[in-house]
Amino acid sequence: MRRRIRGRRCGVFVVDALGNGRFRIGARLAYAARGRPSTWVFIDGRTYVIEPERRDASDRLHATDDQVALSAPMPATVVTIDVTPGQEVAAGELLVMLEAMKMELPIRAPRAGRVKALACREGELVQPGVPLVELE
Amino acid sequence: MRRILIANRGEIAVRVIRACRELGIPSVAVYSDADARAPHVFLADDAVRIGPASPAESYLSISAILDAARKTGADAIHPGYGFLSENAEFASSCERAGITFIGPPAAVIERLGLKIAARAIAGQAGVPVVPGETPADQSTAAIAAAARRVGFPLLLKPSAGGGGIGMKTIRDEQALGAGIEQARREATAAFGDGTLYVERLIERPRHVEIQVLADNHGSVVYLFERECSIQRRHQKVVEETPSPALTPALRRRMGEAAVALARAAEYRNAGTVEFLLEGTGDRASFYFLEVNTRLQVEHPVTERVTGVDLVHGQIAIARGDRLPWSQESLTQRGHAIEVRVYAEDPADDDLPQAGPLLLYREPSMPGIRIDSGAYEGGEVSVHYDPLIAKLIADGETREIARRRAIEALRNYPILGIRTNVSFLIEILEHPRFVSGDIDTRFLETEGQHLRTRSAGSPPAEALEIASWLRSRSADVSRRSVDGAGIDAKADPWETLRGFRG
Repeated sequence: MRRRIRGRRCGVFVVDALGNGRFRIGARLAYAARGRPSTWVFIDGRTYVIEPERRDASDRLHATDDQVALSAPMPATVVTIDVTPGQEVAAGELLVMLEAMKMELPIRAPRAGRVKALACREGELVQPGVPLVELE
Repeated sequence: MRRILIANRGEIAVRVIRACRELGIPSVAVYSDADARAPHVFLADDAVRIGPASPAESYLSISAILDAARKTGADAIHPGYGFLSENAEFASSCERAGITFIGPPAAVIERLGLKIAARAIAGQAGVPVVPGETPADQSTAAIAAAARRVGFPLLLKPSAGGGGIGMKTIRDEQALGAGIEQARREATAAFGDGTLYVERLIERPRHVEIQVLADNHGSVVYLFERECSIQRRHQKVVEETPSPALTPALRRRMGEAAVALARAAEYRNAGTVEFLLEGTGDRASFYFLEVNTRLQVEHPVTERVTGVDLVHGQIAIARGDRLPWSQESLTQRGHAIEVRVYAEDPADDDLPQAGPLLLYREPSMPGIRIDSGAYEGGEVSVHYDPLIAKLIADGETREIARRRAIEALRNYPILGIRTNVSFLIEILEHPRFVSGDIDTRFLETEGQHLRTRSAGSPPAEALEIASWLRSRSADVSRRSVDGAGIDAKADPWETLRGFRG
């Protein structure tokens, strides 16, 4: 199986599928795997994470800066909650301290505002993408 | 020694189990729920579940581990590194239970684990130390006062710790209060003990450590140095031996200092004496930092150049054997470089990554050793250290070892989670690394540039492969709904027989 592809920058190159996730491009070996949702490609010591051109791109657009800034960047444990509902916070103020893989990950206020509600408890294991604090 | 229980997980558990195999001693693995399918569990002769994923309830639970030893008839425990390896209470619990702890006696761990006591021992042995103190009063105000006595810049370290965890650099008065509290919390979380140690920071030193082995018959030898200056947040990333900074005379002075310290501490088994080195060559000065009373993560580089298997050595010493070598019979041959492959994103502040290993293939080449506990289809868990593997390259010269390490990394695909592989290549190719001009601030000063370089956008080939793979699996493998990996049946290239491009 051999596919000739007109690359955008590389001119014409040939990709051979060797099976089991392996591909040959010219003299180089590449590896690829489909994850969810991204596709992963490894060429010459570099890994590229290629996001799908997604139908749910609209979800992304709806995600506000607040939602991103107020969510855990990875699965983590809540160590401390440093604010209470109703409290006024300044931009950059520590809201929640998370811990993952022996590291502390501070969640800070992306802007000034009032804490509307808390969406986590101390000691809880939280997942990325879910805001931990609601800001007004 | 009839049966050895390995109180650890990941690559080091695998490493120790292999040594047991080689020596014909049955091994027992322990595992948490998160590790039920981990390689160390399958490799060992026997395996015991010791608790849920949380380390405090499994790998840090002395009672669960001792129960597992009793249940399986293990009469010795190898602690690996991290977890309970430097926990004196664990060592003494083993002693009381009649189980051989493969490491130094509890009293030695305790003395050397307390930085004040360790420094006093270094003083007795005539080994120079860096200014610092552990305030008896551990209130924030008292620690701040100690910090002012020691002077800025300074380091706050967990008194009970090691491995750089919870260590904070404080450059000025302003950062002090919050820094103390954060360091204390991290120390408490990692070691169950929030006691802090304050130490003057020596700017731009090298981190050079000496491996020692001490038997129960009065013999102590050093197995030369490891240079571990490439660190980020005080966690080592690249280690090598010999150090480009040491002359034979300096190497002998440091080796003899480490042996003197080990003797003064009545040390037993394998240990590492860490030093900060200021300057290079015969006029350099070195300061005692701490003793790691365990096997080090980076022990393989020493094994590659000395030919000594340190785990075999640990087991032999614990069983009462005499060291088979004199200092004069030990030599360094060639050069070895270890890089730590971490599940972390260099482009995003080294944020640890957890997730599936969709594709994981270790390179096999001349001069390459890989110590890992990972496998394709497995998972890097959020609960533990993000180390995936250690890649050790050796060769007749430093340059050959360096080139081998780069070549191996270029052929080490790990897909499904972000890793530091490309960042490691950038480090190994940096002119300052090539020339050996490194210090512990290397990644602070050069890291940003290397991170940017290591994070390039995908070339056309990568995009083509990705879109091809995606379109094919959309057509062909709707049946592979779990999406967890490249299971052979779902591989579009395999299933698309007859396709001609």
